[in-house]
Amino acid sequence: MDIKKIRADFPVLQSSKAIYFDSACTTLKPRAVIDAESSYYAELSACAGRSHHALAKKTEAAFEASRGKIARFVGAKPDELVFTKNTTEALNLVVRSLDYSTRKKIVTTPLEHHSLLLPIMEQKRREGLNVEYLSVASDGSIDEGSLPLIDRSTALVAIHHTTNTTGMRAPLEKIVKAAHDAGALVLVDGAQGVPHSRVDFSKLGADFLAFSGHKMCGPTGIGCLVGRKEAFEKLDTFIVGGETVETVSLSEVKWKRAPKRFEGGIQNYAGAIGLAAACDYLSRIGMQNIEEHEKKMAKLLIDAIQSIPNSTIYGSTSAPRSALVSFNLKGIAPHQAALMADSLSKIALRSGVFCAEPGMKALGAPKEGAVRASLYLYNTEEEVRVFAETMQKIAKL
Amino acid sequence: MLCFVALAVFLFLSIFSAKYRPLARRAIDCVVKKATLRPCDTGLDEEIKAASISGIMKLSPQGASFLNRHFEAFSLAFTLLFFLSLFFAAQGLYNFVVYGNCNGFEGGFCVYSGLQNAAFLKAPASLDGVSAGNPGANVTLIEFGCYTCPYTKAAEDGVLGMISRYGGRMHYVYKAFPLPAHAYSREAALAAFCANDEGKYWEYRAALFENQSDVQTRGPAAFKDIADGLGLSGFDACYSSGKHNDLLQKSTDECTASGIYGTPTFFVNGKAFAGPGAVFDAENEVKRLLGE
Repeated sequence: MDIKKIRADFPVLQSSKAIYFDSACTTLKPRAVIDAESSYYAELSACAGRSHHALAKKTEAAFEASRGKIARFVGAKPDELVFTKNTTEALNLVVRSLDYSTRKKIVTTPLEHHSLLLPIMEQKRREGLNVEYLSVASDGSIDEGSLPLIDRSTALVAIHHTTNTTGMRAPLEKIVKAAHDAGALVLVDGAQGVPHSRVDFSKLGADFLAFSGHKMCGPTGIGCLVGRKEAFEKLDTFIVGGETVETVSLSEVKWKRAPKRFEGGIQNYAGAIGLAAACDYLSRIGMQNIEEHEKKMAKLLIDAIQSIPNSTIYGSTSAPRSALVSFNLKGIAPHQAALMADSLSKIALRSGVFCAEPGMKALGAPKEGAVRASLYLYNTEEEVRVFAETMQKIAKL
Repeated sequence: MLCFVALAVFLFLSIFSAKYRPLARRAIDCVVKKATLRPCDTGLDEEIKAASISGIMKLSPQGASFLNRHFEAFSLAFTLLFFLSLFFAAQGLYNFVVYGNCNGFEGGFCVYSGLQNAAFLKAPASLDGVSAGNPGANVTLIEFGCYTCPYTKAAEDGVLGMISRYGGRMHYVYKAFPLPAHAYSREAALAAFCANDEGKYWEYRAALFENQSDVQTRGPAAFKDIADGLGLSGFDACYSSGKHNDLLQKSTDECTASGIYGTPTFFVNGKAFAGPGAVFDAENEVKRLLGE
């Protein structure tokens, strides 16, 4: 991987001298993605799947080609991919639309992002569901001993691929097996997994996989829900409107099959085209290369933070993780540390509970949360060195 | 604590620039929460703290460390100082509006005096008063002063220096403007006129300034002691007769007509100089006119 060449692809890195360590929140966008997204507005700007004029046909072709590219990127078929606004909407779609008439339990973990926890809690409130949480050890790993919580009453097991608090991965293989053995569906929150490693839906075994475009160099406002055809059949309608139906009379509606059934109204064509360009971009670099780069960066980050006396890293420092580390410096409030890093060295860090308040509590973080450094393919060893120096200075306060 | 200060600062800045308005809104939110004993969760305090410590750290890591460790104490002290200065500023403004001087009856230097543009002060119509230097000179320096005013006293060295340096090329005139805020100011002016009758004005004036606090305490007794010390035989009769009442009234009327709002105020060839640095500004003008 030629990091220098990669960095030249990102306009923000040319215009701003910031050290961008907030990629878990959203990544920077390469020129190829920006151009692809704007090409829709400059060259197409029409509706897909409705009108029959030439521009509409071209739009339809570009939109569906994007669906195909993105689906292939995650090892899925085009008709297994539903476009959504983001991961949050994709997760809501599954949790809120699943039929809980015979099975009334959802199993998840306390480590989940609010985007998954809140729909589950809302569904529990509305339908009186039973929600159970797999145990989490102090090092952030999921206690596989709690897998028997997944039983024949479980409708859905909803779990992260990679957490946004520690960068650690869930033992999906075992969880998927336990769920399927019990006849439950598995929903994987891939927001932090798909951008950072090769995720093959066909091999993952899960029934649903949700992810966002903006966390993988794509545009904001576009996300995906990938699902098996049979699994989609178990979902009720979610957002309905134009293009979700075959026929409508005032007495009867015949819904389309997935993915169209879940794509009500005019879609984010520009976003889809941009996300497809992001998939192309990441594929050219190679997800394996990105994963290797992140492993190296994660080790450097951990070494840098561990060299600071009285620092605390959340989650295991030996387990595989993406280049994401949440930590605290003794005596320095996380917001203060992050703000000072920005002020002193223009390092963009996230601080707080990262929309995962119960998760941070489970990891033993204080109420104020922690500081999070999350790196991506464009970050360099030199940037980590500056980060280390800056944190050393702040820790000495 | 700093959100209280931030509120005032950002509200003020918001008048001039819209970019400060979101900060002002956050400060309002924070102040309301603090005032209702809830924690401020706007992050404004943390941002101010981080920005302050980062700024100091670039200059001195030790200083930043000290500030970080005692930030709450600094915040508290800064906030208290802010409210104290706000109180005094408001009190001064009240006095300025009601009494014409922010120190109230005591008079003296008042920062709000600057609100009244010295350019609007009118030069006195006459050159009556105690004078020194060359009456035929092209440069005239007029001082409106009060013998019991500490600011007139503070300017005295500068005035005497000008008389000494430019006396032959400058005409100096002193007009008494006794401020009621200062004890025995009017009586001191009358006493100085009496001393002038016996040719001992400058000695008497020097003694008045030198013993200003004693004069303000003992009044007539102090005037008599100074006169005795200078051997002024006709002082008692002059002072007790009120011989110079009319002269002093004329001087005071002239001051009022000129719009003088504090002492000392100088006019150099009709151009007014008032405020704390007036004597220096007046000298600069004198030098300019003399081509120095």
